[in-house]
Amino acid sequence: MTFRTVLIFFTAVAVLSISASFIRAQNYEAAPGIAAMEDRLRDDFLRFNATVNTEVDDDVLELGRLVAMGGSEAGDSGMACITCHGADGTGDGSGAFPRLAGQAGWYTYKQLKDYASGDRQNRVMSGIAKKLTDEEMEAVAAYYATISAPYTPPLGDVDGMTLQWGGQLGAVGSAERGVPACVNCHGPSGLGNPPSVPYLAGQYASYLAHQLEMWKQGKRDNDIDNVMSAIARKMTQKDIDAVSEYYNRVRPPLPIPPGAGPLPEPAAASTQ
Amino acid sequence: MMVKTLPRTDVLIIGAGWTGLTAAYELAHAGQRCVVLERGRKRHTATSFSAPEEHDELKYAHRYAHMMDVKKETLTIRNNRDQQALPMRRLGSFLPGSGLGGAGIHWNGQLWRPLPSDLQMRSHYEERYGKDFIGPELSVQDWGVTYEELEPHLDFFERICGAAGQAGNLGGEARPGGNVFEGPRSADYPNPPMRQPVSNTLFGEAAARMGLNPFPMPSANVTRAYENPYGAQLHPCTYCGFCERFGCGYYAKADPIICVYDRIKDHENFEIRFDAQVLRIEKSADGKTATGAIYLDENGEEMFQPANTICMCAYALWNVHLMLVSGLGKPYDPKTRTGVVGRNYSYQTVAGVDAFFDRTVETDPYMGAGALGVVIDDFNGDNFDHSELGFVGGGYIACKQYHGRPIGYQPVPEGTPKWGAEWKRAVRENYNHHADLVVHGSSVSTPENYLDLDPTWTDAYGRPLLRMTFDFPENDRKMSDFMMQRAMEVAREMDNVTSVSGTNLAAVDKHYDIVPYQTTHNVGGAVIGTNPQTSVVNRYGQMWDHHNVFVFGACLFPQNLGYNPTGPLMGLAYWTLDHMKRDYLPNPAPLMDA
Repeated sequence: MTFRTVLIFFTAVAVLSISASFIRAQNYEAAPGIAAMEDRLRDDFLRFNATVNTEVDDDVLELGRLVAMGGSEAGDSGMACITCHGADGTGDGSGAFPRLAGQAGWYTYKQLKDYASGDRQNRVMSGIAKKLTDEEMEAVAAYYATISAPYTPPLGDVDGMTLQWGGQLGAVGSAERGVPACVNCHGPSGLGNPPSVPYLAGQYASYLAHQLEMWKQGKRDNDIDNVMSAIARKMTQKDIDAVSEYYNRVRPPLPIPPGAGPLPEPAAASTQ
Repeated sequence: MMVKTLPRTDVLIIGAGWTGLTAAYELAHAGQRCVVLERGRKRHTATSFSAPEEHDELKYAHRYAHMMDVKKETLTIRNNRDQQALPMRRLGSFLPGSGLGGAGIHWNGQLWRPLPSDLQMRSHYEERYGKDFIGPELSVQDWGVTYEELEPHLDFFERICGAAGQAGNLGGEARPGGNVFEGPRSADYPNPPMRQPVSNTLFGEAAARMGLNPFPMPSANVTRAYENPYGAQLHPCTYCGFCERFGCGYYAKADPIICVYDRIKDHENFEIRFDAQVLRIEKSADGKTATGAIYLDENGEEMFQPANTICMCAYALWNVHLMLVSGLGKPYDPKTRTGVVGRNYSYQTVAGVDAFFDRTVETDPYMGAGALGVVIDDFNGDNFDHSELGFVGGGYIACKQYHGRPIGYQPVPEGTPKWGAEWKRAVRENYNHHADLVVHGSSVSTPENYLDLDPTWTDAYGRPLLRMTFDFPENDRKMSDFMMQRAMEVAREMDNVTSVSGTNLAAVDKHYDIVPYQTTHNVGGAVIGTNPQTSVVNRYGQMWDHHNVFVFGACLFPQNLGYNPTGPLMGLAYWTLDHMKRDYLPNPAPLMDA
């Protein structure tokens, strides 16, 4: 397990980081506008709205690790995150629990808040979240956001036609059924659009399918304006399975070493 | 070249935007076999407009990938009759669309109704201010159709779009938070208003302190999951900031493809042909009716599509062009001030006011939507006393947050250099502290602003280009200047504002320029009315001279409203279709005596 500057950092603060590098290239460090931007990055509220990664220090991550191991101010959280989600955020291998590694920090934090308030329904998660302080939710969300963990091979075999249909729904949606493409919000190749939109690439198929089903039935509605329900209601079971199996097999591009040149193409779906 | 004659159809519809597809939907369900000819290509909201590809600002907002190709068809432009008109070689002040959905896919979704007095502009002003109040150099006239008559149709189109807003007048009863000046509505908006960002909110608070009446802009950016009367399912807006000039792959901005086309495309009476460039409409030997249209098909072959009835549903300017090249109606002659086709062309006056906040107000402009705004209508139409002002008309003043895209959104306070280090510094410092106010003003018609055929230039098909002769009327320059001053007063009243500046594109010393983008709201040229000497179509949208030709779109407006045209023109479209179905089709004849 390693800590690193995770992918979400690059996308989450794309505007800010582009501006920052632009400013450096222009040698304008002294300009007052830059200091204001940097101040905003240090602002706690904003940090959790943009990303939990940039200014997260060792103390926060250490607290997050303790929460993941089951610790909390209230004594304990009832159940340690690592029991189901793994110490590295890759789940327990069953595919029933979502991958948390590298997930947008604000997204995970908001889910914990919603579990605690009942806006997202799950008996186990609500019980745990209610025992965490706000700071502990932030810390554990930051902890999992910063983890770079390997991907578990997809479970089971899926035929190529299903994957192709899933990929098509993901990339261009369905004009016939009025389903917008996943990439509209979840980013190219389903890599996520932090802070609020989670990644799909590499997420477990059974988890994705279950969530789509919950949205379809109206049992989950904790996204802004309930956009996901409107979409899921138009999807058939075959659509849900196809898109879930497809994204389970998509991998983000490898981290780019400094000075490596242009971005590589997004990784292709694999049936392996 | 041989022209191939195709089997006759009941209704031929030219253009597959909002009006054309709606005409096809309504008439196909009324048992009419409809053929739609669309010059552009097939495309679909789901498969053609998805982010992240669609969010390519350079491609769509600045290189106009969704717009018409001016290398094939364009117009010539001059400010007055003494000038030589020259062709518009690049798109500029307005952006007509092409392809399925037409310009309806790249609108902002600002969905208005006309004021009751707007539709009776001449008689209303004469009654309130006296017979001579509208000067002789204005050809302002009544629409010939009233708000009460259009209301059910305006309402229906709002339900087609899943409009989001706050009623201000529900059946004559005032509603707090809505537009107090609007005509009575038969029903509330189908969806609640959009959520407003900080800049718009501060504008509304300032306006209210000044005794003005702010309300949320009526929006076709949908605010919750919604099914329209045709069965189309729309989704909630994500405030992504890519409406104007972009299609909406989120299914959140009402467009003609998802709202209408998807619901009619499989109907047995519906057929659409893409890459079908209509060249002219043919007339019968006696000239009293149209017989069909000649068009170039996808292989470049000339086809003749005979039809019993023709619906002209192209963009406002191109409807007028098609009439002129086909010899439909009598062309307008400004020297004798006779004839009607091309008469009463008018535009829209647009002024902008920029307000800049101190560092405590962070506006996050990248979160936006096309119709995300707070508006005051206190200076629109005749909502205010004109007796001492020396002009007619008005407009709405809105604070909008519709995008924060990096190329197009670089607001800087007045006095900033146009380029260089200081400009860059100002952009960085102000990007997140800016309020964008717009004055969206009416435009009167005059005898000297008109459309005809150019004597020199031709299009790719050998037809004379449309020639536009236009400059802002003195009336509109005064009006726009007055409006901008009002907008600046509100801007100065806003909390935490450190600097206010204004730009008036119709200023007193400026001529109309077709280069900078202003608005795609070209109107008139084939106007509606009750007098065949001053209108191309009767009050039902039916041509006086050719009773089986019905005309749709903003070319019908006798002068321009202070509002965006899509709502009013679709109200007219449903009004016309209603009368076609009820009165015309059972007995094809003139619906009014000339």
